[in-house]
Parts: sequence; structure tokens; C-alpha cells
Amino acid sequence: MLSPAFDPACDLQISRVIKAPRRTVWRAWTDPARFEQWWVPAPAKCRVQEMDLRPGGAFITRISEQGGEFVPHLNACFLAVDDLERIVFTNTLLAGWRPAEQPFMTAIITLQDHEGGTHYAAHVMHKTRSDRDMHAKMGFIDGWGTVIGQLAAQVERLS
Amino acid sequence: MAHYSEHLNGIFQALADPTRRAVLQRLSRGPASITELAEPFDMALPSFMKHIRLLEDSGWIQTRKEGRVRTCGIDRKSFAAAEGWLSAQRAVWEGRTDRLERFVTVARKKEQ
Repeated sequence: MLSPAFDPACDLQISRVIKAPRRTVWRAWTDPARFEQWWVPAPAKCRVQEMDLRPGGAFITRISEQGGEFVPHLNACFLAVDDLERIVFTNTLLAGWRPAEQPFMTAIITLQDHEGGTHYAAHVMHKTRSDRDMHAKMGFIDGWGTVIGQLAAQVERLS
Repeated sequence: MAHYSEHLNGIFQALADPTRRAVLQRLSRGPASITELAEPFDMALPSFMKHIRLLEDSGWIQTRKEGRVRTCGIDRKSFAAAEGWLSAQRAVWEGRTDRLERFVTVARKKEQ
């Protein structure tokens, strides 16, 4: 299994042991009704528009904040889906591998059996720093107006 | 890692609200008075002031009073902290993993 190198400037890695069988964790991830219950922090609500679990399949979610209408949240594409083991998705591509307008990240979710339950890991790779550095050069404050918008879309409410 | 960084969480929690995001977006163009900031919102002033205070407490903005006018401006320090942009992403993923963990362990208990 390909395991990409970790780039501390652009990547983050989360791993922990979850006290539940691998099948339960997998189901929580791959069953839209279950996935919707944990993907975004309450009181925001998530709705899975498409979760086509195969390479090239659409992974589209919407979010409703403060009881408002559901608006686009994640528009991504699965790259690999290995039953009970691994989910790889990216928003650098849309469904059917069509290049996305604003590529941002690729995430690799892996599940392994562990004596305490399931070893769950998320390796998330982001674009290089270059466009952030460009922001800084273009003007600190003006650039941040845009960044706030992006953060707002991507950084959810933290409960 | 559930208690990632309280300060950082505060910074990003402040962004969770559309009114506060709009205020920050307006202030990213330059300082403004409370009256000016409140104008686009159909909201009582005390409610609006709660948002201003939250933004101030979380370090996004600074306010100062000149005569009867209170002016708000972006606090560059917070933007610098938020530049730890990767930290923000990390906080998002930590949150997701916390919730997934909670969800599956609760689901497990129900099944048993």
C-alpha cells in the first residue's frame, strides 16, 4: 500500500485507537445516514448529497448552519476505497476525476485492527504554502478578507 | 488531543457565525465604527454588541472609544495566529475524529 511521505509544512496526521470494532467505524464512515451524524459539529447539520464509494466516485456534502438552508460544503472525489481498510478522497478532483477549481487537500483514512478496537488514522495533505505566501505578498489585510471566506467555508464550528 | 489549543479554538469558534464573519470581512477593508458595522444587520444593538465582544475576546478585533464613537479594527496578531492555518485544519480533523469516536462508541453500547 502506497504510503506517502509526511510533509510537516502541509500535512497533518491524526491517529488514535477507537474502542469499537473496525466494521462499526467503517460503517460510521461509509453509511451516509451515520456519517451525517458526526462529520460536522452540532448544531450545524450535514447532509450527504453523494457518496459514491469507488475510485472517481462523487463525495459531496452540504452543511446547514444555525437552521439555515443547506449550502455546499465538501465537493470531492474518492480516489481509493478499500473495504474496511482505507478511504482516500480529494477535492483537487471532482466526480469522475474532473479537475476542481480550488484544489485544497487529499485525505487518507486508514483503519486497522487493534487489541483495543480500531486504530484509526487520518493523513491529510494540503496544497503547498506557495499560495499562502503569495497572499502575504499581495497585501496582508486584503488577502485575509479572502482567507476569512475560505476559512469560513472550510473551518467549521468547533464545539 | 481533544483539548487541542483553547486559544486557537476560540479564534476559530469566532468564525463559526455568519454575522461575525461578515464583520471581519468588512473590517478587512479597514476600521469602522460600531454603528457602521451594525447597519447591514437586522439585529438589536445589544445582540450585535455580543458578537463584537466575542470577536474582541477571541482576539480578532480591537476596539477603542473616541468621544462617543467606538471604532473597531482588525487585530493583526490574531491573523498571525490564524496563519497557523494548518493548526486550524488540524483542529477541524481532531474535532471530526472526536465526534466519530463518540459516535461509534455510543452506537456500540446501543448494539450491546
